[in-house]
Amino acid sequence: MSEPVSKCLLISDFNVSTLAGILLNDGEAPAIETIVAPFGQVIPTLMQKDRECWQRQPDFAVAWTRPESVIESFNLALNYENVSPADILLEVDHYSSLLLNLRERVRFSLVPTWVLPSYHRGFGLLDMKPDIGIANTLMRMNLRLAENLAGSGAYVLDAQKWLGTAGKYACNPKLWYAAKAAFGHDVFVEAAKDIKSALSGINGNAKKLIVLDLDDTLWGGTVGEVGWENLNLGGHNANGEAYVDFQRALKSLTHRGVLLAIVSKNNPNTACEAIKKHPEMALRLDDFAGWKINWNDKAQNIFELATELNIGLQSVVFIDDHPVERARVKEALPEVFVPDWPEDPLLYRSALCRLRCFDAPSLSAEDRERTKMYVTERYREELKARLSSLEDWLKSLQIKVQVEELNQANLQRAVQLFNKTNQLNLTTRRMTVQELEEWATEQNHRLWTFTVSDKFGGSGLTGIVSLEVEDGVGRIADFLLSCRVMGRKVEEAMVYIAIKHAKEAGVDRVYAQYIPTSKNAPCLDFWERSQLTQEREHCFVWQIRDSYPRPEAIQIEQTFP
Amino acid sequence: MDTKERVVRAIFSAIDEVNVQLPREQRLEKSIQSGLLDGSGKLDSLGMVNLIVAAEQNIEQEFGTPISLVDEEALSQNDSPFRDVNTLVRHITRILEENEYE
Repeated sequence: MSEPVSKCLLISDFNVSTLAGILLNDGEAPAIETIVAPFGQVIPTLMQKDRECWQRQPDFAVAWTRPESVIESFNLALNYENVSPADILLEVDHYSSLLLNLRERVRFSLVPTWVLPSYHRGFGLLDMKPDIGIANTLMRMNLRLAENLAGSGAYVLDAQKWLGTAGKYACNPKLWYAAKAAFGHDVFVEAAKDIKSALSGINGNAKKLIVLDLDDTLWGGTVGEVGWENLNLGGHNANGEAYVDFQRALKSLTHRGVLLAIVSKNNPNTACEAIKKHPEMALRLDDFAGWKINWNDKAQNIFELATELNIGLQSVVFIDDHPVERARVKEALPEVFVPDWPEDPLLYRSALCRLRCFDAPSLSAEDRERTKMYVTERYREELKARLSSLEDWLKSLQIKVQVEELNQANLQRAVQLFNKTNQLNLTTRRMTVQELEEWATEQNHRLWTFTVSDKFGGSGLTGIVSLEVEDGVGRIADFLLSCRVMGRKVEEAMVYIAIKHAKEAGVDRVYAQYIPTSKNAPCLDFWERSQLTQEREHCFVWQIRDSYPRPEAIQIEQTFP
Repeated sequence: MDTKERVVRAIFSAIDEVNVQLPREQRLEKSIQSGLLDGSGKLDSLGMVNLIVAAEQNIEQEFGTPISLVDEEALSQNDSPFRDVNTLVRHITRILEENEYE
């Protein structure tokens, strides 16, 4: 099942037809249909929601302007006139308020930072001087814009990076005079990549797991042949330093919520010994959510590892120095993203840092702790292997579930869960902060969040269930649970809470209508195994006259009346 | 590689840039006979501007000398240098030769 095409409205004071063409035709996912707002009509387009371009109901907007065009006082400053920085920032505030209006018309908007062509030297030596320098003023304007738009569903994209990548031809005056295009082709290509990556991340499709090879990927040399003591790693050697830097960059990604794993053709004891003992290893075993070190096919190993970690293959990135292994995984597992990889280890770190596939619209405390959570999960599984039954294991975990209503403290994480959860997700509704707040405050709507912990540690806010009551019937509108706590009866606790409150609301029956996507088959599997009756295809019903059993192994704490 | 081959390569690279903006059925073929402003309607005015600017940039990178493809002489020729890839190659080669003798 393919992702639906998103409609993007491009609002600009210069010709963005090249960008529109690239977004529409470059063949890269996600697919985007473009609508170009009337040229040079930025302010009227932002102010008037009855304009034709809005009637076409775009999903998101890109508002890309030149600073001298929308901030009049900056235009004066650009002509070296004496303008108060406070006046300029006031204009930025006014323009920001127009951008904030977009919340009512689109799911989200993207606002590239204001830039000037590099040939504009401003005040030269004084250009970074506060209150005078044009570069200084432009930086302050961009910071003010970012502050004004923070948390509003408008994301500010760093256009300066696009110009840097495009280099000498980022701004070609010939394009401006002949076509009113403010930037060159390469800038638009970079912008299109960032726009697609933003859309992908906001749609919950950021990659979650990097599967890594070992020999000549994490270190130089073949550990089985040279032994861990003779690996090229660290020391006073360019390649050795580069391998350590690459490991450090990987480790830093774990602080963004990205998990690491190993799939390597090696003797497991030899490889693990190297990871444990080599003094220059930046990554140790506890930095990896899992590993498959054996002589089996890597595609098969990746499949099994992703299954064990409860991560969909579409969330996996595979990095291997060997082109044959990459080709094999690409062919066998087309859902897995396999980036082309440089031959030279000196380029590994920069190749990793260039990947846009990890871009997500938010970063929570749970994200930062994700690797730790998976490591503790490994300890749980080890305990499970020692205990005879599932019930014994669940009881031994001493699982606690804290149930809360939506509030300011959990709102951001709840939105993140809405937009990232794919597998155990009943309806796969994607929600912005504003949409979720509005939905939850409707009188007939209820929403609960579930924060899960056990004796090994906390898994964070990992579940959401919501209920809509209408004409004496309760509908479970959302039912989503992070894969990291699936299969521990938290699902049953969520159903129990929804039905308990539905009963208190006086309904006769509660139903859950499963909406299939390409990724949420595990959710259907849960509902088919649940105690609800499937009345018709994908519709599961519970009659309120029967109490829904509370899962015994779980301690449920409710922090609201 | 002789001058003509290098010019053809620079133009094909410019065609790659323009093609990424075009629907599949409208993309320009990378061949010496491929039509540009030949009435086929594949390129609109922005597409043509993008192609010319990309070709100029690629030629500058390839030969280390900036050139301008659109001048009064080019516009006044009966046989437009932008009709197809072949005429454009001839046009660029002539400009490069002139620059060499100046």
